[in-house]
Amino acid sequence: MSALAEKLMVTPVDETSGYDTIHELGQQRLMQYGFPDMKTEEWKYTPLRVLEKRAFQDPIEATTALPSWPVDGVVLHFEQGVLTSDPATLPEGVKLSPISPDLLGKKDYDPLYGQREGAFGWLNLAKFKQAWHLEITGDQTVILATTLSKAFEAQVHPRLLIDVAANASLKLIEDQRDQGQGLINIACEINVAEAARVEHVICRQNAESVWIQRTDVDVAKDADYRVSAFDRGGRLTRHDLNVHIKGAGANGEIDGLVLLNDRQHVDWHTEIAHCVGHTNSREAFRFLADGSGVGVLNGRIHIHPDSDDSHSDLNTANLLLSDDARINIKPELEIYSEEVTASHGATIGQLDEGSLFYMRSRGLTEAEGLALLKFGFAAEPMMQIQTPEIREWVLGQLKEVL
Amino acid sequence: MLKIKDLHVSVDEQEILKGLSLEVGEGELHAVMGPNGSGKSTLGYTLAGRDDYEVTSGSIEFDGEDLVEMEPDERAAAGVFLAFQYPVEIPGVNNAYFLRAALNAQRKARGEEEVDGVNFLKMVRESLAELEMDESLLKRAVNEGFSGGEKKRNEIVQMAVLQPKLAILDETDSGLDIDALKLVADGINRLRDGKRSFVVITHYQRLLDYLTPDKVHVLSGGRIVESGGPELAHRLESEGYGHLERASA
Ligand SMILES: Nc1ncnc2c1ncn2[C@@H]1O[C@H](COP(=O)(O)OP(=O)(O)OP(=O)(O)O)[C@@H](O)[C@H]1O
Ligand SMILES: [Mg+2]
Repeated sequence: MSALAEKLMVTPVDETSGYDTIHELGQQRLMQYGFPDMKTEEWKYTPLRVLEKRAFQDPIEATTALPSWPVDGVVLHFEQGVLTSDPATLPEGVKLSPISPDLLGKKDYDPLYGQREGAFGWLNLAKFKQAWHLEITGDQTVILATTLSKAFEAQVHPRLLIDVAANASLKLIEDQRDQGQGLINIACEINVAEAARVEHVICRQNAESVWIQRTDVDVAKDADYRVSAFDRGGRLTRHDLNVHIKGAGANGEIDGLVLLNDRQHVDWHTEIAHCVGHTNSREAFRFLADGSGVGVLNGRIHIHPDSDDSHSDLNTANLLLSDDARINIKPELEIYSEEVTASHGATIGQLDEGSLFYMRSRGLTEAEGLALLKFGFAAEPMMQIQTPEIREWVLGQLKEVL
Repeated sequence: MLKIKDLHVSVDEQEILKGLSLEVGEGELHAVMGPNGSGKSTLGYTLAGRDDYEVTSGSIEFDGEDLVEMEPDERAAAGVFLAFQYPVEIPGVNNAYFLRAALNAQRKARGEEEVDGVNFLKMVRESLAELEMDESLLKRAVNEGFSGGEKKRNEIVQMAVLQPKLAILDETDSGLDIDALKLVADGINRLRDGKRSFVVITHYQRLLDYLTPDKVHVLSGGRIVESGGPELAHRLESEGYGHLERASA
């Protein structure tokens, strides 16, 4: 076992939870496969040195104040990764309970997901303390607020399964704020059942913690899943977002915006899989890297065999705002059906001097012009957010930071 | 208003303006004509303060101030406006928002009060109507996907809202249809109040028929090689620039 695995495995897990078989399995697999290193293709641009150097403490009590959100909804607060809200007081249509062990980690054994970057998934299975099952019917708004306080130096492995029932409609805001220096390793599965709709918005602002997240989404027949991620950077963040379109008539969309500055490293690995035909998907992702920020996007479109009439478009445009910033973009198209359309485009550029001069010639100062140019560029993917209040909320935050 | 003396300007170490002198008095409208590549746009960019346009010698005085030392936004606030030959597209930046931000930035720099949304909208709607432009253009990104003519008219809308003291119009008439040309000319004439000055760069005397310039200059090889009244534009239209370049060589 590698030094990293040894360190992370050191605290024993509670074996009275009924999850012991699953914890054991996670542990075995982790030992078998180990942690990725620089030779692991999927982790080539994201070294785990920060993690290796870090010593983890036991979790401590903390109460982080929550911000306000632009829409009313059920707020589930995960303080240091542990649910503090009372699952018994939820309104009708929103049910929260511990995941039954037989539902657990289903995707981790699913050959469809393979062993692509399993280490943190296995680690989560081996070490999670709570695993929640959120079930949605009707028309709901849910806010998942995850906060890591200033004193946070622990490792936590939250696990969540969200089932959105057929014909249901869910607005899901994941508001993630880290001020600490620990490790959070989230595993989240979302099942969007037939003809259900999910508008998912991820708003993230990280400090020194290592933030690892995996979101696996299954989209059933005629269902619609759209996610918009506004990531304001962090010391080391890695998000694997997999959207698997599994029923005809279904649609999946990913929009992302990542802002990076000094000593920040954010890696998004997205995958949109068309598992059947008559399906649509779209992805637009933008990075703005300033200072010594490093951004990584691996955007995969995978059209399975016998998936004719699948249509997919992946577009990424990126801005380097300083000489030290770096952006690594890798679109991957794997297409095994004939009658499909799959397009992709990727650009990395700098702010256009001509545009800046045009703005200044109209009276804007250099700083005002730059901010407006950056805003114009960054806002585009976030304009896709459907609910106007949420869209304005995200754009407002964007304006504040630029 | 504007006094340019023996101006030398280099771009990328290459001298483009080679001793250009030009004086435009208060309330006057001067036309600048000249062959392609003679330095007309270079003059416009230099007046607006573009970074890589280096003034190696000579002087530009505007309203009694030394323009060369000023930043582009300071020049704008002081009242200099350049209508670009090729207006720039700015994706993601709303046209109305941009213009209001520009107006208020100028006003702030001059120590004036900002214009609120309602009054701004009134101003800009008026200008749009005068130029027969659709209001939907306000909601679009600056110049993005605008037709050539719409871009040019948008420059005039900006000018009308920003109310500069000196407007340099770089081939604003190029690419306009006959009706649009008349609208743009009307837009310019509306702003002629006896105080505001104009430098109108053009290849065609058709625009000048509407504007009746006080003076017409010919720019060739980086210098003003001939100046005269409106009749000079007519002569150029029939004779071309051939004889001038030979004469100045
Ligand atoms: N960055 C540059 N480096 C070198 N030469 C340049 C640069 N920019 C402009 N020039 C040259 O300067 C000269 C003058 O260009 P300018 O755009 O001012 O001409 P113009 O009179 O406006 O022409 P037109 O009528 O075609 O608009 C041209 O020969 C052009 O190629
Ligand atoms: Mg020109």
